[in-house]
Amino acid sequence: MPMEAEIAKFRRESELSIAIMLVLGVITLILAPLTGHYRGFYLCLALGLIIVIASGAYLPIIHVKKATSLRELAIPAMQSLWVSTSMGLGYVVTALAEYFKIVLPIAATLFIIGWVILLFGLYRLIYISKKAGVPLAI
Amino acid sequence: MSGEKKIEDFYGDYATLTVPAEERRSTLNLFMVYMGVLAVVAAIFAGSGLAAMYDVSTMLHVALAGNIVLGIFGALTAYPGGVTRANTYMLLRYPLGRVGAMIGALIIAGISCGILWFAVETWLFGLTTSVIYPGHWLTSIAAASIWGGILMMITAYMGYRSISILSYITVPFWYVLCIIGFFSALDFSGVSYQAMWQLGPEQMAPIGTGITYVIGLYAAGCVITSDVSRYGVKPWSGSLAWALHVTIFMTTLLFIGGVMTLATGSPNVIVAIANIGLGAGALLLAILGQWTTNDNNLWSGSLAFVNVFPKFKRGTWVLILGVIGTFIAGIWAGVYGMSLDPFIAFGTMLGCFIPPVGGVLIADFYIFRRFVLGIKDPAQRYKFGPGTKYGAINVPGIIALFVGGFIGWLTTLPNYAFGVPALNAIFASIILYLVLIILMHKAGIRYEVGTWIEKETGF
Repeated sequence: MPMEAEIAKFRRESELSIAIMLVLGVITLILAPLTGHYRGFYLCLALGLIIVIASGAYLPIIHVKKATSLRELAIPAMQSLWVSTSMGLGYVVTALAEYFKIVLPIAATLFIIGWVILLFGLYRLIYISKKAGVPLAI
Repeated sequence: MSGEKKIEDFYGDYATLTVPAEERRSTLNLFMVYMGVLAVVAAIFAGSGLAAMYDVSTMLHVALAGNIVLGIFGALTAYPGGVTRANTYMLLRYPLGRVGAMIGALIIAGISCGILWFAVETWLFGLTTSVIYPGHWLTSIAAASIWGGILMMITAYMGYRSISILSYITVPFWYVLCIIGFFSALDFSGVSYQAMWQLGPEQMAPIGTGITYVIGLYAAGCVITSDVSRYGVKPWSGSLAWALHVTIFMTTLLFIGGVMTLATGSPNVIVAIANIGLGAGALLLAILGQWTTNDNNLWSGSLAFVNVFPKFKRGTWVLILGVIGTFIAGIWAGVYGMSLDPFIAFGTMLGCFIPPVGGVLIADFYIFRRFVLGIKDPAQRYKFGPGTKYGAINVPGIIALFVGGFIGWLTTLPNYAFGVPALNAIFASIILYLVLIILMHKAGIRYEVGTWIEKETGF
């Protein structure tokens, strides 16, 4: 495959990965008012906003970046994915905690979303790292 | 630099070589690794010292002022690493001489970080784990110290790559969880945001006392910034990452610890998180925080030892130092309940000699080589690679190191207490180094004794 086509494909893949994180972050923000307690609300607001900002800020950067190699796209994509992945771990640890008094169906949903973000993030990070030939923690 | 020929990284993690272009990392990567080192519960505990001295608003300003000084000092020591791509122990070959650099390496990281502080932090890990989950044999101080020590050894053994991966996954989560713990502790104690700003002791200490306290907390850490900054994509990457993380996030951690102490009587964010029903969260906070800090101690220690005793590779040194440190934490302190005070006292005494190492490096790189020897290009001030000739001992450097360290130690004693001991040591070493080396240089006296030629392995 010619380099331009490979870069274009890689750009689409990277954008899609970050867009999925963005959507998952937005879902957790939508769930915030449904948590049933102000503590749960602020938790979702904090973690969700970090995911949305980390994804929303990097998405246009990757979209407009003039890249001559996969590495140039991989670096911002991985930086964004690392932040979201770490926040996924945050949801896994906190969603079911008693203190936040989140109603069970929403807590369970957030717990599952946390795992999805964590596992999807790690998978995409490894994939991008291998494909672009850059270190995992770039 | 090292020339066109590709040199094999015999010891691992470029312990004796400059970092090649393909191994360079983003500024964010360096920032994350520095943040990982800072992400330790002890940093929050330190905030309680400020809480005893000031109200919340003054505490914030004092912490910020002290951390700005640390940011500048660390940024100055990080830059030579960023521009030459060499670690701290290699850089010291110039201001201390090749053999002097070995002494400096052992003082800074080999014994201080690699054995003593690794042991103390590993024991603290065991202690914290036993507080969060009491009553299980795996979470007893001894057992937790041992498995904690093994975890830390694994990432330190695998090297910079795995240390930075751990920092990437841990750091954002760790800081968010800390802030959650902070707000939940306030929430639990019924202190509102407005009321928080009214908290404070009846009598406040002078501002200088608090700034002194803050600088003393991390002055030693500023000296080994080049171990990480040498990986930066730009020469200034490490300096920027260091300055930002210290001024913003160390200030935040001290503030959190201080306010929690004033509001709840305890700075223990882990216990606060455990109390709110976040058992796994509290445990993860303790494990990951201690892990990202202590693997760095061990890693830096192994780099130092390779530069002194090249018989073993870096990974082997990690295992040797890690086993000694884990033994001290798990068996000496954990099983037999013996005090770690002798190790802490020795570490603190050695710690007085760490800041002057940074002092002589700054004086040599920024002043002597730039203005006396007239080397304008920073990249040309220090050169490395097989065949490079170094003086075995840089006499002014060694004198400045020990006299500066002695002055720093002296000013920690109650009878001679004056200023900030760490800063006293730095300034004394800078002044002494410059006076001695400039006088000797101008008088035509050789300030370096003996010659050391770098081998193919970089040793």
